[in-house]
Amino acid sequence: MPEPPEGSHDVDVEALLPMLRRIVGARMGDHPSAEDVVQEAVARVLAAQDRIEPRTLEAYAIRTVRNVMASVWRRDDTDARNRHRTHDPSRPEDGEEIVVASEERSAMTEALARLSDRERELLLAHEVSGHSTKGLGEATGSSPGAVAAQLARTRARLRVEYLLVLEDVEPPTEQCRPVLLALSAADRRRQRELDAPRHLLECPTCARLSEPLLGRTLPRQDEVHVPISGDPDIVAARQAARELAADAGVTGTDLTMLATAVSEVARNIVRFAGNGEVTIELVERPRAGIRVVARDTGPGIPDVDEALRDGFSTYNGLGLGLPGARRLMDEFAVESVSGHGTTVTMTKWFERKA
Amino acid sequence: MSSGPALVSILRQGDILVASVHTALDDAEMVRFQEDLVEQIGQYRARGVIIDVAALDVIDSFAANTLRSIADIARLRGAHTVIVGIQPDVAFAMVSLGMGLAGVTTALDLEEGLAHLAGIRAGTRSGPSGG
Repeated sequence: MPEPPEGSHDVDVEALLPMLRRIVGARMGDHPSAEDVVQEAVARVLAAQDRIEPRTLEAYAIRTVRNVMASVWRRDDTDARNRHRTHDPSRPEDGEEIVVASEERSAMTEALARLSDRERELLLAHEVSGHSTKGLGEATGSSPGAVAAQLARTRARLRVEYLLVLEDVEPPTEQCRPVLLALSAADRRRQRELDAPRHLLECPTCARLSEPLLGRTLPRQDEVHVPISGDPDIVAARQAARELAADAGVTGTDLTMLATAVSEVARNIVRFAGNGEVTIELVERPRAGIRVVARDTGPGIPDVDEALRDGFSTYNGLGLGLPGARRLMDEFAVESVSGHGTTVTMTKWFERKA
Repeated sequence: MSSGPALVSILRQGDILVASVHTALDDAEMVRFQEDLVEQIGQYRARGVIIDVAALDVIDSFAANTLRSIADIARLRGAHTVIVGIQPDVAFAMVSLGMGLAGVTTALDLEEGLAHLAGIRAGTRSGPSGG
């Protein structure tokens, strides 16, 4: 660095420092840039000192430090205004997320390991290696449709195993896995065979696990489930039945008879079992109708025939619950297992309006 | 009754109480309705009670039973009860259910119900018919 041409000026500038610090301190206080502002002002004054009359140096320095402060404030303002632009919406990976991700990965690995070799190979060939169902079918001597069906079954199984590993549960009963599999595959015939709804009512583990599995399938327009645990649910069940039936074209007296019958079976659940569900669904075969299935996990009915007889009652009513509902519907069946609960299945046929 | 729009309104007209059910009632609400009505029969020394159930789309065994109880209790408290406004579909279903409300006085609508009570009043001097 070259010697300053006139040392006396240097001394003058240095002498300005306390004054500059006072000015900046008064206006900026503890601002982190306060000392920077002072230094910047000094640097500018030094750079300009040759052009300035020594006696105006003080005034120039004051002017300069004010300008520097103003530009700092302007910058601060702009930063504050634009801070939202620099916000990064993708949250930084924190420890927990990394743990969750690695848990999910290891659950998937474990779930894949639970598949049979053939299932795993087929799935990986299609999903990872990208072989088409047609190509895979030719390789194994089966049709593309059969391969697709098998892939769907395998995916359904993978979903179940993945959930079981992730939740770290061993299915409590032998029925659990088949039921979960049928739900995962959205296989309604199989669900009926296994009486899946009743299993979900009885098995809290499967009820919990089935939620993500059922969440995959779109809610059906031709079926309603109403959980029953108290008086208001009786009204909710009969209103749901009425609504579904009305949408399907059922009118007048049939609607009222259906709603009344649903009311009776739902009340039986509340009075005798405390907990259960009513499912109302449209059926097409053997003809158009509405099927109501009322399931509970209560003590069961010891003598079904007696319960269906008029005038039989164990609670404060006229014993019209089941026999009354039977008269209102076209088909009526009661299945009761002592200690396990009761299933009432009843159907009302109707003439669909052309 | 507790909150929201009233499920049931009970109006007093002279010595007649007119109770209108506005919406579907669950069992607990039905029982509450019965209690409220019976209390008001005493409170207002009502001689006649009209229950308008035109808004009910379902009268199941419990509802029918409660209506019958109300009529019985009211009779024991010295008031005649007339159930009015049972919808045709509801009537059909009640008969199928086996719950015809036999022994309870019914009338087509509010007007008929009031006329019936007036008739009983007029005939009181020659002895009540007993509904």
